[in-house]
Amino acid sequence: MVPRRVIVFILLFASFSVVYSSIAYYTLSKPPAQEFMAWGVFSPGGSLSNYFSGSEANVTVGKSLSWHFAVTNRMGSIQYAQIVYRLGNSTSVSPNATVSGDAVPQLGNSSIFIPNEQTALMNFTWSIASSISRGGLIFLNMTINGNQVTTSVGAVGGQRFRFFFELWTFDVASNSFQYGYKVQNSRVGVPLQVWFNSL
Amino acid sequence: MRFRIAALLGIIMLCIFPLSIDRQEAYGQSTQVDSARRALVQAFVSVQEADLEGASPAQISQLADNLNLALSYEENATRLGSNFYANQSLKLSDSASLEAQSVANAARAQTLFDQGSAYSLSVVAGFGSALLVLEFHRLNDIARKIRLRRIRLE
Repeated sequence: MVPRRVIVFILLFASFSVVYSSIAYYTLSKPPAQEFMAWGVFSPGGSLSNYFSGSEANVTVGKSLSWHFAVTNRMGSIQYAQIVYRLGNSTSVSPNATVSGDAVPQLGNSSIFIPNEQTALMNFTWSIASSISRGGLIFLNMTINGNQVTTSVGAVGGQRFRFFFELWTFDVASNSFQYGYKVQNSRVGVPLQVWFNSL
Repeated sequence: MRFRIAALLGIIMLCIFPLSIDRQEAYGQSTQVDSARRALVQAFVSVQEADLEGASPAQISQLADNLNLALSYEENATRLGSNFYANQSLKLSDSASLEAQSVANAARAQTLFDQGSAYSLSVVAGFGSALLVLEFHRLNDIARKIRLRRIRLE
């Protein structure tokens, strides 16, 4: 027959061990956190406004504008991010939270690796090299980050052009960049746009 | 007549030959850039794995710097069609990948050690606590004896 004290000891030992192990598990576990990526287009002054150094969004030929993107990664691990830029006009279909602006031709892209809980800065320096009038529309030849780009979307009188900026992240499963960032089983797109007129 | 045909064929061959060399060179560059891209993605996968295994933010930050440098080489290789930059990117990606794997292994081992230590400590603490509760009355007896001894000495 097992003495009563031994049974009590075993019960107490088991109970205390369960309690302490639970504390250990809680301490070792990562706290739950909402995964997200945040980003913005910043003007030369470092603000989210005043992109054209004036009240009007007019850009003259040859004027260079130095903007930058700030991308914050809170996805829980390092991300391979890409910013895709497109030029549209007032009638272009805008990208939204689920669909990218694939209907609007891409002007270029910039990629970067961003560790978790860090913010990466990417330059976006652009200017209008020249403009061409064709069929009542103004088409632009631009220089973006040192690369010459000819746009295929025009705007009436050069008014109301739109830059679309999209954040894409590399998806290991599909081995390709996918629009937005992954949250559980879906993807969230966060497009940005800036309007301007060509003078 | 035969000479004319041979001369014509010779001229055509001479015209085609440089084109085929250009195409081979372009194909070689494209292959190098593709390899650099694949190596970069592989390095990213390794670094992400190390990150998820619990590598320190400083280690991941340093690996990310290497990846960004390899990415800039790969972009230069694509823009300039340069094998030199493609090779630099490939080398840097491969070394980042190897380093990330070693960091991931170390992080995995550290996590196992931490978990083992924490749960062992829990069991030891559980044993100690159970013993303390069960033998608490003896502690009271010991304390009483010590108090009595002090009184006698005084």
